[in-house]
Order: sequence, then C-alpha cells, then structure tokens
Amino acid sequence: MNTKKRIALVIGSGGIKCAAAAGLWRVLQEEGIVVENVVGCSGGSMYAALIANRVDVKVMEEWSKTLWTSDIMQGYTENLKASKDGSLRFTERSGLVDDSALNRKLREVYGEWKFSDMKMPFKVVATDLLSGEKVTLADGGVFDAIRASLAIPIIFPPWEVNERLLIDGAASDPLPIDVAIQDGADIIIAMGFTLDYRARFRSMTAVQEQLNSIYMNNILNSTYAFYNLAHHAEIFPVIPEFDSTISMFDVDKIPSVIEQGEQAARMQLPHIKRLLENV
Amino acid sequence: MEIHDRQADGVTILSLRGSIDAMTAPKITEFIQGQVSRGNIKLVADFSGVDYTSSAGLRVLLGAIKETRAQGGDLRLTGVQPDVLKVLNLSGFTNILKMFDTADAAVASYS
Repeated sequence: MNTKKRIALVIGSGGIKCAAAAGLWRVLQEEGIVVENVVGCSGGSMYAALIANRVDVKVMEEWSKTLWTSDIMQGYTENLKASKDGSLRFTERSGLVDDSALNRKLREVYGEWKFSDMKMPFKVVATDLLSGEKVTLADGGVFDAIRASLAIPIIFPPWEVNERLLIDGAASDPLPIDVAIQDGADIIIAMGFTLDYRARFRSMTAVQEQLNSIYMNNILNSTYAFYNLAHHAEIFPVIPEFDSTISMFDVDKIPSVIEQGEQAARMQLPHIKRLLENV
Repeated sequence: MEIHDRQADGVTILSLRGSIDAMTAPKITEFIQGQVSRGNIKLVADFSGVDYTSSAGLRVLLGAIKETRAQGGDLRLTGVQPDVLKVLNLSGFTNILKMFDTADAAVASYS
C-alpha cells in the first residue's frame, strides 16, 4: 500500500506491556503499511528500536522473555531496607536496584547499535532529572538512550548522556506523539499504556507507587489531549486492554500481551486503511 | 457519514451515522456551520450511530463547541457508544463536554 502521507509509529512507556508493540508491528507488516519513522519512550523505546531495525516479531518475543526477569531488580529489597535505616546514602545518581544485570541484557541487544545505522529514523525520549525537561535522543549509541529512558526514578539509577543526568521519559512525555509531529508525520499510530492502580496498600512504598501511577496516567491523558488537538492530521491511538494485571516480571504472559497488541491494532486497522486509501 | 437534523423545544438535534474522521470532518463542519449561521446555536449531537471518532473528528467537535458557546449556545452529546467514549476520555473531551443518556435529557438540559 503506497501513500503520500508520512506515517510515524510511537510506542509509549509501559514496562513489560510494551511487548504489545510486537503485535502492532506484526499487523502493520502483514497489511503492508509502511512506517517511516519510530519514536519510543521508556519500555516502549526498547520495542521502538527493534521495530526501527526491522527485527522479526518472533525474535522480539523471545528476547522479551529473557529481559523481563527478576534479576533486573537485583539488590532492590536490600537497598530499600538500607535506605530506610540510613545505611544507604541516596544521591541524585542513586537507585535502589543494582543495574548491572539490566545493563548487561540491554547491551546484548543494543550495545552495538547506533542511531545513524538504524534501518529507519528512530528517536527516544528521556527526562532531565535536574531540569525536568523532556530530552529527545537521536544521536550516538542506542543503548545509552534506551537505558536513560528506562530509568524509573528511585528504582533504577539515572543514566548520563551528553553530560545530562537522565531518567524515565515517562516523567515528561509518556507517549511522545509531539516528537513525531515535529518530525513532520501526517498519520501517527500511537500505542500507549496506562499504569494499573492498586486496591490495597500495605506499605508506604505501595502508596508511592500508586501516586506515581496517578501522576503518569494524568500526564499521559493531558499530553495526549493536547497533541490530539494540535496535530494537523490523524492520530490513531492503539491502547491494548488486558484481561488481568500485567506485573513487571509476568514473562509467561508475554505471548498474551503481544496478542492483545495485535488485537488493539486490528481494531484501528479499518480506520487506518480507510484513510490511506483516500489520500 | 449521514447527518439529519430536527428541532425540539428550540434545540437542534443532529443525528450522525458513520465514522467521524478526516474524510467526513469537512462535511460535519459545513453542516454545523450552516446550523450556526441560521442561528441554531443550541445543538445536541446524537452519537448513537457514530462508531468511531478520530483526532480529526475531535477537532471538529471542539470547533463546534467553541463556536456555539461563543454565541451563548452549546453542543451537547447523547448516545455516545463505548468505543467513542474511550476516545473522548483519553483526549480529555469528557472534561469539557456535557453528555446525556438520552436526546430528551440533552434537550431538557437547555431549559
């Protein structure tokens, strides 16, 4: 299918749920919908990078199962206790997790990738911890950009890129449609995820986590509302709905997450195709 | 996209059927502007036949809301289907729109 309109794909933050992007990518490939550039945030940046390098969906699935394992949270419990009793001194560069396992896993896939070598233009959004600004990364190493964008505050240590201390892109722009708008996209296919809310609270950490979810979901809604009205053409939101809560290490649910992503994409497909056939 | 209009107690009820997107937005804009130019500024849009609203469709709605409200009227919705409601929620429209379960309730809200 050919179109004069420029199509961009945006994959928002959402941790393991972002594996749903593999299902979306499968649908776009099957339908011959040609994406010209890709933008990602946080967990979405990992899948956006794989899409930008045209990695096979099966490979995405297998890799997802090896990434989202509990070892990427190594040290969390011990460091949380230590931070409470004062034996762990926390600074702007600290995180509760020893990130060596996460970094090793990310380097195995993205370690050698450069933005300039990607098969299609690709950008990653992170947040400057000191200024709060959204930072768009599109140069240098892909690993550094993804690692920065993934740095959930307090949990993972921030990551320094170009002398800026960066954290999770979701803190400023969880579904960075604006980057695609700035880059001249007409049709924007945007896969976003909301964070689940808790019903029970047994610790201060749980309350903090809930507050984080409330903040993030409200940032997502308000930025989406603005981008939606600011854009000159169409934005197609692809919002997968999951039957149950998807926790960070639910690797056994990854095939189902991908399936939900595919289903959500197929719901938008008639509308996307209708537009493409009429431009 | 089909649009029909009828009057009820000084309110114009617009019944829309189909998808509101970039293709149909110009027709809807023209139709609503025609209503407003005739002084019909109290509008109720019956969405029970609308299966989809895209970002272009939402911009049409926003334009109509601003135009009618600027003249002392409004655009109120009824019959919004679940898939359309999701989009209205995500895009913040439910914060600025008045929505009603029935067309009668929407009409009555103007009195």
